[in-house]
This record gives sequence, C-alpha cells and structure tokens, in this order.
Amino acid sequence: MRDHAEIPDPVALGILWDRLISITDEAVSALLRASFSTVVTDGYDLSVILLDVEGNAIAQGTQSIPSFTGSAPATLRHMLRRFPPERLAPGDVLCTNDPWLGTGHLYDISVMRPIFRRGRIVAYSMSITHLPDVGGFGYGTGATEIYQEGLRLPVVKLVDAGRPSELLLDLFRANTRVPEQVVGDVLSNVTCNQVCGRQLLEFMDDYGLDDLRALSLGIRAASERAVRDRIRALQPGRYAETLQVEGIDDPITLACAATVAEDRIAVDFSGTSGCVAGGINVPFTFTMSYALYALKCLIEPAIPNNSGATAPFAFTAPEGCILNALPPSATAIRNVVGWLVVPLLFRALAPARPMWIQADSGMNSALSFRGRNRSGRTVTTLYLSSGGLGASDVGDGAPTRSTPANVATIPIEVWEALTGVTVEGKRLLTDSGGPGKCRGGLGQDITLRNDSTHPYVLDVLGFRTDFPARGLADGQPGRLRETHINGRLIPPKGRHILEPGDRLRRLEAGGGGFGEAAERPLEAVLADVRQGYVSVAGARRDYSVEVDLASGTARRS
Amino acid sequence: MHYRIGVDIGGTFTDFALAGPPPTPLGTHKRLTTSEDPAEAVVAGVAELLGDRRVPIAEVGAIVHGTTLVTNAVITRRGARTGMLVTAGFRDILEIGTELRYDQFDLTQQFPEPLVPRMDRIEIAERIYFDGRVEQAPDLGEVRAALGSLQERGVEAVAVCLLHAYANPAHEQAIVALATAEYPGLHISASADVLAEMREYHRWTTTTVNAYTQPMVDRYLGRLERGLADLGFRGRLYVMTSNGGMVTPAVARRYPVRLIESGPAAGVLIAAHQAGAMSLPDVLSYDMGGTTAKGAIVRDARPLRTYGIEVARLHEFKKGSGLPLRIPAIDLIEIGAGGGSIAWVDARGVIRVGPESAGADPGPACYGRGGRRATLTDANLALGYLDPASFLGGKMALDRVAAEAALTTDVARPLGVSLVRAAAGIHAVVNEDVARAFRIHAAEQGVDYRRCSMVAFGGSGPIHAAAVARRLRIPQVVFPLGAGVMSAMGLLIAPLSFATARSRLVPLDQVTAEVLEGTFAPLEHQAALPLADAGIPAERIRINRMLDLRYRGQSHVIEVTLPEDLRGAALASALPALFAERYAAVFARSLLEESLEVVTWKVEAVHRDVPFLTLAATAAAAAPATHLVRRPAYAAAGDGLIEYPVYSRASLSRGEVITGPALVEEAESTCVLGPGDVGRIDATRNLIVTIAVRAVS
Repeated sequence: MRDHAEIPDPVALGILWDRLISITDEAVSALLRASFSTVVTDGYDLSVILLDVEGNAIAQGTQSIPSFTGSAPATLRHMLRRFPPERLAPGDVLCTNDPWLGTGHLYDISVMRPIFRRGRIVAYSMSITHLPDVGGFGYGTGATEIYQEGLRLPVVKLVDAGRPSELLLDLFRANTRVPEQVVGDVLSNVTCNQVCGRQLLEFMDDYGLDDLRALSLGIRAASERAVRDRIRALQPGRYAETLQVEGIDDPITLACAATVAEDRIAVDFSGTSGCVAGGINVPFTFTMSYALYALKCLIEPAIPNNSGATAPFAFTAPEGCILNALPPSATAIRNVVGWLVVPLLFRALAPARPMWIQADSGMNSALSFRGRNRSGRTVTTLYLSSGGLGASDVGDGAPTRSTPANVATIPIEVWEALTGVTVEGKRLLTDSGGPGKCRGGLGQDITLRNDSTHPYVLDVLGFRTDFPARGLADGQPGRLRETHINGRLIPPKGRHILEPGDRLRRLEAGGGGFGEAAERPLEAVLADVRQGYVSVAGARRDYSVEVDLASGTARRS
Repeated sequence: MHYRIGVDIGGTFTDFALAGPPPTPLGTHKRLTTSEDPAEAVVAGVAELLGDRRVPIAEVGAIVHGTTLVTNAVITRRGARTGMLVTAGFRDILEIGTELRYDQFDLTQQFPEPLVPRMDRIEIAERIYFDGRVEQAPDLGEVRAALGSLQERGVEAVAVCLLHAYANPAHEQAIVALATAEYPGLHISASADVLAEMREYHRWTTTTVNAYTQPMVDRYLGRLERGLADLGFRGRLYVMTSNGGMVTPAVARRYPVRLIESGPAAGVLIAAHQAGAMSLPDVLSYDMGGTTAKGAIVRDARPLRTYGIEVARLHEFKKGSGLPLRIPAIDLIEIGAGGGSIAWVDARGVIRVGPESAGADPGPACYGRGGRRATLTDANLALGYLDPASFLGGKMALDRVAAEAALTTDVARPLGVSLVRAAAGIHAVVNEDVARAFRIHAAEQGVDYRRCSMVAFGGSGPIHAAAVARRLRIPQVVFPLGAGVMSAMGLLIAPLSFATARSRLVPLDQVTAEVLEGTFAPLEHQAALPLADAGIPAERIRINRMLDLRYRGQSHVIEVTLPEDLRGAALASALPALFAERYAAVFARSLLEESLEVVTWKVEAVHRDVPFLTLAATAAAAAPATHLVRRPAYAAAGDGLIEYPVYSRASLSRGEVITGPALVEEAESTCVLGPGDVGRIDATRNLIVTIAVRAVS
C-alpha cells in the first residue's frame, strides 16, 4: 500500500500516468464503435476525460476533437453545483447538453459518472459526444435564439443508482428526428463511462492505490512545469492580431492580444464583434478550447491534456462579444466562427517564436442534408469536405486536409448509397493554392446532383468565401471557397432546397502560401504545371514563370 | 516427398525450418538475407539446410515461402512505373484520400505520395451507380488510346479503378479484356478483382499497390522457381499471404498485394497451433523482436482477421501516415517496442521507450558496435535478465559496462534515480505499453483478455511475457521452443487458403435464402478456385462464410461468422440472433430497435488438411528441474537484485517443474519467471508458466 501523501517518483509517475491515459483511450474506443452519429465515428467529435475528486482533469482520451480541450473541469463544477458529491450514489450518471454548462452547442452531450471505491468517490469519468440530432431548427445557422435550436437539458440525473431515467429517454425520443439513434448514442456514453470506471478501479487494485490525489498532483505538476519551460523559450511581449470572418449579414472581426510574460500567457479577445442573430455565436468554453488547441500546437504538443497543462494560460473576452456569447444567443454552428481562433492565435504568436509557423489553411466545411433517399428512407447527414493546408517554411501545404477539427470525408460510394445524391466529380482545384516560395495546399472542386427523386433541405455552413486563407512571410492567399446551386453563386451560410436533378457545386478554399512567389524554384513551378496543380497561365500570373510543356522547360519572365 | 520447408525472408535474416515424417525432429537454419535478389539466399539456404541433414531434395514435397519483398518495394518505392484508368471526375481520389491529418498537432506533417503520379492517371468517361445501374458505358476507343499512351510513356502496370465496380464489375472487366488482348505487355489489376469492397479510396489504393508490385513479383517468383528447379526440387512451391494461408505462385502473381505482412502472420500460426493442441479457447499471441512487438488474438485456434492494414507509413507508429490497404489479413497490432528500442526522458520528465530503435546496427549500447544510447536490451542486461556471456548462444558477448553507462547518462541521471530503478522503469514501461495495446485491441474485439492464455516468442517476448501477463491478469503463458524462428515454423503449418469479399448493402429483413445463397455462391466459387487449381478435391475444401452487419446509420460493422452447417432459409432466419450474440459480446449492452443491414459478404476457402508438424516429444524426467548456476536479477521494487536460478532450456525435459523467480535460457531468448510463477515442461517441450497473482510493480 502506497502512502497517500507520497508523489510517485518519475519512474512510477510515467507508468501510472500512461495507464490512466490508456483507460480513457479504451473508453473512447468503446464510444467510437457504438455511436451512430457519423460526426463522432468519422470526425472523432467526442472525448473521454478522467477528473480527480477535486475536479481537476488528469487524463483525456488521445483521440478527441480540439473542441473539448480543457472544458471538462468547468462542466463538472456545474454538475456538482446541482448535485453535490455527498448526494451522489454509486451507479448515478449525470448529463447536460446546455451550451453554457457543456461545450457550446446543444448537439454535444456531456455525460458524467462518479467512480466510487470503498464507498467514497475517488474520481469522475466524463464523456462528450456529438448527437445525431437534437430536434429544433436542425443542423444549420438559421435560428436566432437558442430556444429554436432544439432540446436543452440542464444538469439532470440520467441514471439513478443504476436505473436509467425512462422520462429522459422518452424526452430524447419525443424531441428528435432520429430517436433510436439519439437514444443509442446517449446510452453509448453511459456504457463508456462504466468501462472507464471499471478500468480505473482495476488499475487502483493493480497498484495498491487508495486514492488518486498524489498521482493527480504529480501529473499536473509535471505537465505545468513542462509547459512553463516551453513558454520561457518564447519572446516576451504583447502580440495583437485581428482577422475577419463572414457573418450572417456583415463581416465579423475577431481580435486578440496575447501577452507572453515569462512562463505564462494571457489572451484577451477585446475588440471582437458582438453576437449576431444566427446560430454562429460562440460560448466562451468553445473559444477557450480552440485557443488551448492552438497554443498546444505552437508550444508543447507532447504534453497530454490535463488541468496542469492548461494552468499557465488565462483567457478573457468581453461578455456578449461573439467569442463570449451569452444566452439566449443561438450557437448551433459555433464552429464556423470559433475555429478561426486557431489562425488568429497562430498569426498573433508567430513573431514570438523562433521559427515561422504555418500560413492560414483553407479549413473544412460542411453541407447539412435532410431529406429522403431513393428508397424513401429518411436521411439526416453532413457532407464534409476540406480545403488545402497552409504552406510553411518546411514545405508546400498538403491538399484537401481537414483542420482544425480533424474530420474524414465520406467515401463517394458510401455517400451515394446513403443519400441517392450522385457525385459528378471531386477533383483538386488547379491554381487554388496560395502562391509562395512554398505553395499553399490545393482546395477541391466537387459537384453533387440530387438523384434521390426527393427534394433535400440543404444548410450551407461555409466561410472563407470573402476572406481567404492568408499567406505568411509575403506568401499569397489561397483561393476562396464558393458554393453554387445550378450555376448560381449562393451566400456562405443559409438554407436552400435542392430539388431532384439540381446540381450543387462547391469549390473548397486553397491554403495560404509561404514566402515570396518569386523565390519558388523554377523546377518546382515546372513540376506543379506538369502535374496540373498550377496551370500554364497560373505560373505566368502568380510566379512570372513561362512554362513550355512540350519542351519541358521553364524560365522566369 | 515427405519433407516440407518453411522459408521466411526478413530484413536481416532468412530463416528456414524443415519438417519431416515423425519422428524426424524439426530442423532450423538461418542465413543473411540477400536484399538485391532475395531468391539467392532462399536457394542457397535450402541447399544448406538439406545438405546438413542429408535429406535429398527429391524428398521435399513442398516449400512454403514468406517474404517482405512486396512491403519493401512499396516502402522504398522500387516497384514498376504504374498508370491508372479511373472514372471521369475522380483521378484525384488517390491524393485527396480521407482528408484526415494523422497528427492532430504537427503543423508541418507530410503525406505519402500516391504510387501513381497525377499525370499517369487517365480518366475514362463511364459511370455506374451505387445499385449497379449503368449510366454510361466506356468507349473502348478511348480506353485503347489511354492504354497506348501509358505504354508509350514506359508504364509497365495499370490499375483499373472504376466507381461502384464492387456492385457491377462489367466495365472493369471489359477494360481488362481489351488490355489483355491488345496490350499483352502490360500487367493489369482491376479494383473489383483485387477486392470488391465499397470505399473507393481504399480499394483503389490497394489496386495501385497490386499493380505496382506485379511485375517484380512475377520476375522474382520466376527466378525462385528456376533456382529451386536447378537444385532438383520437384515439389510444389507456395507463397504465404497476410491472412495466414498460403497460395500458389499463380495466385501470388495475380494478387501480390496479399503478400504484405506475411512473415509476422506466420508466427501467429504457431500460437494458433498451440492453442489447438492445448485446447485453449482464447490466446494472445505476443511476438517481440528487435524493433517491434506484434500481438494477435487467437480464438478457438483461429487468429482473428481483419481486412484493413496499412503499409509504408511515413511515421512507423502513426496510424494514417501510410497507404491504407484492404486485404484479408491476420489482425496484428504493432507496438513500437523491441530490444533495440531507445529509452528516453520525454518532455514530461518520465521514461519512454521507442518507437525510435537502434536496430541491429549499431544496436544497443551493450552490443559494443558504436551504439551509445540506452535501449531496452541494455536495461534487460542491467537487470540480470540477459547473460552477457550466453547471448545468442554465446556467439555475441554483451558489454554490461557500456549498457550501464548508457542507462546512467540517458535515464538515471536526468531523472535522479538509481541505475536499477531506471532499468526497472524501462522494463516496466515496455510491459505497460504492450499490455495497453492488448487491452485496447481485445476490447475492440469483445474479448475478455483476463480469460486468455498468452503464447510468447521472438527474441524479446519471453523476457517480458510473464510481467505483461500479470498486468493483464492472464493466468497462463506458453513459451514454445524455438522462439527465434517462429515465422519459419509457422509456414510449415499454413494451410492452402484464399479469401474474398464483396460489398452489397441489403437490409436484413430482405435477406432471404435466395439472396443469401445467390450472393455467396459466386464468392464461394471464386474463393475455392485457387485451391481447386492446386489440386485440392472439393470435399477437402472448407468454406467459411462471414457477414459484416450493422445498424442502418451506424458506420461500425460487426463481423458475424456463419455456422458451417447452417444454410438457406434456416440461416436467414438465424441472422438476427447471430448478430445479437456478437453485438452483446462486443458492446455489453442491449440491442436497439433500429433496423439492421448487411454490408460486406466474405468467404474464405481453406484446405481442411493442415500440414503435419512434429514438435519433438521427449521422455519424462524427474521433477523438479535442476539448475546449473544462479545469477542476480531484478524481482520487484525495493528488493534490488536477488539470486535467480538459471536453467538451460535445452536440458529441460517433460514433466520438470520450475518455480520462480527463475531464468530459462535458450539460444535466442530468455524466459523470465517472476517470484511465485510456476513453470513446467509439457510433452512437446513447451514451457508452460502459471502466473502468480500479486500487485504489479
């Protein structure tokens, strides 16, 4: 039996720590396999977190979307305020999908189970997944208040001492379009937390641990120390940056000022535009999660997520700005604004780092489809596609890669069978990568045709249609995203009907270039033209290079 | 014709195993791999193996061959110049891929180049819908022009990749027919023939790998056949595939992509063989060598299968950084930890081991070949688990001082702990890494690892097996004799087999007897054909049928194995119950009221007669065993090193009992028994260890 007060030595700490992460990984794997929501299974829009008795996060599943970085301790605090620990019993499970208690929109449900050992709570297990549907307006930006967006549950007891609440399950069934799938996903979360709890207890038995306090302290202290060490390598100072993103009507400005002071960073989002009457407002928890993700990429990607790793960072934003939206703002598609926090911080902190960082990426976008397929079956799904990655000083940006969330595209053969919507073509988009010494990644050109024989309700959830992925170090921006229905350009966000036979064309944005285009080696321009990544005209316009494919030569004009 | 030979070509060594009629003992042989032309070492080694034992080659009925040739060709990009004919609109699918990044945080990650450059992918105007309906047939004039243009550029192999070809292969078949007739010089692979599964990116990538390696495999097998014929070999040559079955050279030439990862697959067959011989229901196969560990689950003496593997990763242990393939394969988990894995202190200030490896050259610090960094083998030496004098049967002396210096510099001093604590930490980190990989893999398959037995082999596996088993609460570990040549031995018991699959979405309530048998019949024919061609009579061919089922709307599928004796209407009506049983096993929760659908139909044809393998039996001896020497080795935290008795594996006989702590040494490995573990030698000289239950340290 270990002494409670004794923090494990570095040898034991590593072993115990990695085992905790592996417990959350195993729980994630259980969630992935049982989920219906394709955003969960293909987009890893999920997470599992272990928290100690004091509510500190100590381990998080390795595979999880950035949206859930650092948010769990706050959610747990809200839950315990409603149901204090002394009122919880073994087998209880709490949940909420309130955007301001959880993770920023109604689609995410946070499910928490206290883990009891010998009659007392030793830890909390929490899982978060994106539900297939929450009723209301549907997956789109059209709601003007949260009340229109669907079922909103405060902190409630989903399972009472092992008995699932039939009332709550009935509520889910009565309020959603695909009731069995939603209930299936809610129950997957319950199972996953059960797995997590069982594994934790087995782990504590294996190592003769009575509680996790000392281990938690060790994990958090080591994480915090490592992150602070890396912050010290940055150039201290105050770094301000702004960018613009397409709103519902008018452009939205996002602003930040990051202050690097010795071993900590404070980020303030003052100067950011106010909330809008559409489902794109961002509760602060989501802003913080993506800010933490961006800082982790920049500073110390190798430190696992926990409350120690996030301790050196502080975030503030004026209440009511679009990055700190308050009720009753609509928030369903908060990501089309919140994601931009990542390029905002990359760009702000670029001068503080010894090395340049990646130029802006085209990022990914979604089309939400609701209708019926050829056999008349109801379809509620997303078509996800990605733009190109930004170039960096180490090389060209890769084409068509999802960022900042990491979401797989659905295979064409699977999509067509599911929806009856035919994909006429899906090609790389020539000349879409931002010119530079290193070229931005290419976007793509996708055409869909509604062959389902039924109309589809289509929600377009786009951005980068007016404000491109910017280049870095004199690199040029990537090409803009565009969406057309039957040849007509439509706005970045909004609801449309796609009638049988209608064609939808989406051009995905290119990534920004890095460095001056004039410095790109001739042979790189020639190779790009040979492969068709850049056209002959594009080489002339963007690189001042004359390419003669017949003779295989290139020269600067 | 009573002898069989197994030949496994690895990166460094080519291993040989010879089985003869009982009571001939198993013969083994090792030789350096000749990487320029691997056939050279095979032919020379076969001659040596037989010469040493005075077995005439005319007595050899079969040679079974496993090779890394195909894997290496893809990794080093030394395959043929390959072109692609693809449905108009989709020539970039190879490059667009899944659109995922394999690392969430690395902003400068690179992605593997497709095997076919963009300019050699030619679009053909044609279209088939998901339900097999034809929208537009290909214009053969256009196809002819495209093939001509590719051949003119020096393309040797062509991948024909059309959308929804799994649903209707007619267009691909028409193109193949034209190409075969008019361009006999081109090697052609068609996507629905390689594997008729839905998901174009994966199917097409698999098809390009097949095309890319076809010319070289054809030439290689030609050289091998000639070389063996020149030795006087008149038996049959077989080639091992990824799913643990062997095929004829003709099948290997048609589907070279199926040879990927065949070596490690062969090792698992020995674990399966042990499971069968000892009637163990569930077994974890644990193989750990110099750079990696490989695990597999064996259920009812059959290794679990998968259809998804990845080749040529840019980062060896980052899933998604390579080319994803769909081929029938043994479901192997790979862990970046082996004897040569380098130990380091990470940004958190804790010990990590691997995935970087010192490999065989310069190797661990204790090899004394210029390696300066601490490795797992160095830690195992410092802990007393390895004997500096008897490593590799005494052929290679280990430098303990160099090992301790590296451990001190790299781990003990940075962490401020003792040398023994650092070495024990490295050892334990690897045990945890391996245990973790098994835990997650078992959970995914709905297997309770606590009820499994473990079979351990490879150069490093036996050192760690008991400790890993303890962490997994596994009661029993089997250490077969000959840990270092398991793959070659596995080849001796590989059955002739061929697997195939086809995606066809059918709601379960529409799966009638006619749909069921009508869909399976052509697949069964296709799977059995290569066996029939090899001369196997129909009644000796077992047909295994599997269905991938899921709830409509869910993407994860559950594979259900169909009972052999159930067919037609009886089978159709049993399907919901079969699904429910598997679903409950995997998810431990009740079913939903959502409807089910069949996604993929799979068939495997297997020769019923598993080749013989005599594992040498020995006479019973008096128990308990006696040991020759003792040496200090690590037992548990706080104890420091204690005296372990050391046994020589070769001198142990049936019935002898060994009580841990103990070390049992053989030429290529050491079995470590912890305090309280009890081992005994069985009739076929396996060491079977019962794991003591106690807290891990």
